[in-house]
Amino acid sequence: MKKLGLVLVCVAVALGVTAGFGFAKERVVVYTSLENEEAVEYLATAKKELPDLDIQAIRLSTGELGARMLAEKENPQADCIYGWAVTNMAEFVTKGMLTPYKPQGWEKIPAQFKDPDGYWTAIDLYAAALVPNTEVLKAKNLPMPKGWKDLLNPAYKGMLIMPNPASSGTGFLQVASLLVLLDPDYKNKPVEENKAWDFLKELDKNMGQYIKSGSKPAKLTAAGEYAVGCSFAFVYSSLKKQGFPVALVMPEEGAGYELETNALLAGAKNEAAAKKFLDWAISQGAMKQYAKFKLGVTYPGIPGPEDLPPLESIKLAPMDFPWQSENRSKILEVWQSHFLK
Amino acid sequence: MSDAARANALTTSYEVSALRMEIDKFIVPAVTLVIGLLLCFFMLFPLSSILQLSFFKDGQFGLANFTLANFQKYFTTSYTLNALWHSLYVSFATTIIVTIIIFFFAYAMTRTTIRGKPFFRNVIMMPLVAPSIVQALALIYLFGRNGLITAHLLQTGWNIYGATGIIVSEVLYCLPHAFVILYTTLSAVDIRLDEAAESLGASPFKVFTRITIPSAKYGIFSAAALTFNLTITDFGNPVVIGADYNVLATEIYSQVTNLYRFDLGATISIILLVPSLMAFMLNYYISRKTFAMISGAAQPVIPPSRPLKKIGYSLYCGLIAFCIILIFATVIIGSFVKIWPYDWSLTFGHYRFPSIGGYAAIWTSVWVSLIVGICGAFITLVAGYVMETRKPFFKQGLYLLAVMPAAIPGLVMGLGYILAFNKPYYIFYGTPWIIVINIVICNFTLGILSSISNLRNIDPSIEEASISLGGDTLRTFFKIIFPLSRVAFFQNFVYFFMRSMTTISAVVFLVSATVHLAAIEIIMLDNDGWTASANAMCTCIIVIVLFMLGILQVVAKKTGRGAEGSMAEV
Repeated sequence: MKKLGLVLVCVAVALGVTAGFGFAKERVVVYTSLENEEAVEYLATAKKELPDLDIQAIRLSTGELGARMLAEKENPQADCIYGWAVTNMAEFVTKGMLTPYKPQGWEKIPAQFKDPDGYWTAIDLYAAALVPNTEVLKAKNLPMPKGWKDLLNPAYKGMLIMPNPASSGTGFLQVASLLVLLDPDYKNKPVEENKAWDFLKELDKNMGQYIKSGSKPAKLTAAGEYAVGCSFAFVYSSLKKQGFPVALVMPEEGAGYELETNALLAGAKNEAAAKKFLDWAISQGAMKQYAKFKLGVTYPGIPGPEDLPPLESIKLAPMDFPWQSENRSKILEVWQSHFLK
Repeated sequence: MSDAARANALTTSYEVSALRMEIDKFIVPAVTLVIGLLLCFFMLFPLSSILQLSFFKDGQFGLANFTLANFQKYFTTSYTLNALWHSLYVSFATTIIVTIIIFFFAYAMTRTTIRGKPFFRNVIMMPLVAPSIVQALALIYLFGRNGLITAHLLQTGWNIYGATGIIVSEVLYCLPHAFVILYTTLSAVDIRLDEAAESLGASPFKVFTRITIPSAKYGIFSAAALTFNLTITDFGNPVVIGADYNVLATEIYSQVTNLYRFDLGATISIILLVPSLMAFMLNYYISRKTFAMISGAAQPVIPPSRPLKKIGYSLYCGLIAFCIILIFATVIIGSFVKIWPYDWSLTFGHYRFPSIGGYAAIWTSVWVSLIVGICGAFITLVAGYVMETRKPFFKQGLYLLAVMPAAIPGLVMGLGYILAFNKPYYIFYGTPWIIVINIVICNFTLGILSSISNLRNIDPSIEEASISLGGDTLRTFFKIIFPLSRVAFFQNFVYFFMRSMTTISAVVFLVSATVHLAAIEIIMLDNDGWTASANAMCTCIIVIVLFMLGILQVVAKKTGRGAEGSMAEV
């Protein structure tokens, strides 16, 4: 028995040592909010193209990632942020938690997709989309929606699903786009008096559930649990490929969108390695990978995926990133006071 | 050798042993102190960080900063306040249901002569081998909006999301915990009382209400308190099946991760701590009485049950066993089916995990759990030995510290760890060690209790003999106590291993880019809508834990102790 105990101790220590110290490679710790399925592919490519880096990554939802960074403010565990909503990023610039860095090839990215001081650089744009299940629509004899306003039809009662804007970046961009779209005067009044809340209250009557993640509304709709999922564009193409009966509707009022950005953390323990990773992340090769999933990438001249409509054909909502970033917590507070029971 | 030399040698050896005696005197207090300090540092210190953040402005300790603003905010915001009512509602409902169900189940196991008792006892323990999320995953597959039973067999629009879902999944999760307590109680109560009452002409109903239930009342209360505590602190099931129905545990997570309100998260932690602490105190108080009652009870042969009673109880136990098996079968089958419930063709596709953690998370979980198992079993054995047989003067305090972790919800402890230890000078932060420490501390209570009860079974005269023959503390411990408690040690090892493989709430804040854990991957996969892959990850954990339990059975059998009881003990 004593021997067994000894063996166990040895095994555990050996395992701990190998796993703890890893290899002699240069380590870089990456936090990302990109969807798991795409992030897995990008990181596999990165590992291939940056063989001397030991890339350690964790995927966190938009909200979780911010909370992590705040919690670790005094002792940052991550070196860089990869693919995080620009709305959230702006807040951290003012908190002084980022280091400006202009990665190699920075000048190729158009000015509207990067911070002039190099605090963040966008890699792609993703847009809100409605994903209906065509079979459920047929079975329940429901019309195909064209945009947000159609969803107010009482026939959809309980058949809609939308992400919770507090936990999901997708949910936030949907709400933020509606606040800007439905109330042209949004800048001159307090958030709680925005006209869009009345619309959202009407929508709430049809809403089956507010869910934590931005892709899950589309996935649950595809599985037949709901008729229309308020989600984003690329999750549609992956579901379609898997054979689910889904359609893609870009809201006719204008699709809300969000930029996904990279940044270097202040106090990064592996700054040199992080810079190498960030250089790679805006390279043409990496961008071509993103373009397999995303509606649009920021590197000019790379077309989006074949199964999504080209970016030029889509009516985008007039997003106001500085405003929504500044008012993020207020928007969430008002939303929660109305829609959380 | 001359006489002088011999005398000299004697003196030297005498001096050496005298020196050893001197050192020996300090060993017990030193070990006590170290364990006490460890518990203070890794349990009380994180808790104090939470208290500080909730009661002081910006977490800055000082009289001028004292504020109740966070609590005011909590109690005046309707949806956060609702989380408290929701938590209390589901916890009370679960407690009542579990206590009733499990009482009759335990009654059937101890007072009737139905067949297949070992089978039933093993099935009821099954929920222990899986994370407390497996119930919710299975229920959604069966009773969700597109569930096999609700939407396809019965074709109703009803679904289980929300309070109902939480209650049903918590009931199925708490059964084994409550069963262990009531089984022990009912086995210990003297059955001859019932017989005496019956032969004096009391009706079966009267015997049941006047004798059986009152004699088991401490066990009933204890099981109820434990169930309440488990339910109110659980995170996995509510987060999956609760939908918009928020409870305290999910609200803590949401305040911290969605709104970056660490102060409100800490405040809700304190609010969650109150009922769970109360349930714990009740349990602690009651279980002491139960133990007093159990000692020395006789266990005569159970008279054969009447046929009708036998059939009734067989059906009853069969139904409960069926529900538990159904849960596990659904998750396991669901992980191999292409698209539940449309396309039943089999596939291994869901085992190609579409997440960054993937299989690495499973291996990390396994070796973290091995370390947790060894550390946990060893520390609890040493602590138990020191407290039980050496009775240091700090014993009462150490005992209180050692049983306290059971009262602290895992999620609260995890949040406390971030707040307290995320400083550059705590080098273990961000390494697997913080997870190891956290899991060992969170599960310290059961580990130490089973260590102590095992040490009570060792005849103290063996130890006395060792000491009077000149064995010092270390020697006695390693040559006598450790070998004699090897089965208990291994049981504790498996218990810690199992808890470590399946815990969610304690580590959800602590997983990192370098340490992915399988149980947390389940939550992430499910969150992203990869339910089938979440089931697959669950299945992997179940298989690994069952494998470990299999080894335990072999070890226990080899050393000649009934292996059957081992699972019940963990």
